[in-house]
Amino acid sequence: MSATDYNYDVFTGGQEDFLDFAMHAPKVTMRAPSFALEELATGETIEMKDLWKKGVTVIEFGSFT
Amino acid sequence: MEDLHARYADRAVRSVFIYTHEAHPGENYRHHTSMDDKRANAQAFVDHSNIKREMFLDDLEGSAHRTYGGLPNMTWIVGRGGFIHYKSAWTNSADVEDALNNVLDFQENRIKNQWIPFYSERSAWSARPMDKFQEGLERAGPQAVTDYQGMIERNKAKRAPPSEDVAPRVPGNFYKTEEEDGGK
Repeated sequence: MSATDYNYDVFTGGQEDFLDFAMHAPKVTMRAPSFALEELATGETIEMKDLWKKGVTVIEFGSFT
Repeated sequence: MEDLHARYADRAVRSVFIYTHEAHPGENYRHHTSMDDKRANAQAFVDHSNIKREMFLDDLEGSAHRTYGGLPNMTWIVGRGGFIHYKSAWTNSADVEDALNNVLDFQENRIKNQWIPFYSERSAWSARPMDKFQEGLERAGPQAVTDYQGMIERNKAKRAPPSEDVAPRVPGNFYKTEEEDGGK
């Protein structure tokens, strides 16, 4: 998916995304995939797997809108 | 979730927020066309909502967000080694806390009790304060309000009214009556 498609400028919504989440996203007891993330405060790049290296991590995804 | 973060910090629980695309872009908080857009909106969110948790940004293509399911406000709990303990389509802090307590109990006592983890599913629920949600849409801009209204109108015909037996059908509730399911 391109950045343009991902960053839609018109919200349309839909139940399909939720079904996708239930069926196709990583499942409980699987290993969480790791991606590069930018820390807002410092601009540094980390790997997601660094978040849970030492213990339990609660990860909330979201946006201002 | 900020309160949860504060209360569990001393139990070595790390709570983070990963900033995604704008779920309801509008004139005031537009969809991102660059990482600078994303940084600016994320900072506005941190400032407005007094976010104390670490804030991370996904790339512009939403690689992490899409792999984890791409929903607007999910919460996941991940343990050592990347073991996924909990995933939720929506974020409800009471439900997250309940799951978190189970995870901490498991981590602290699994060896002593010889516990072996296994897969399980359950439903969760929360109140939906529509006034706050509407406030958020208005803050994003008139287009965000219009787009959401448009989605509601388009789906009105498909949305069965709630009954005593069947809870309101919001996204993430997959229930269908026997009639809706073709008599299955």
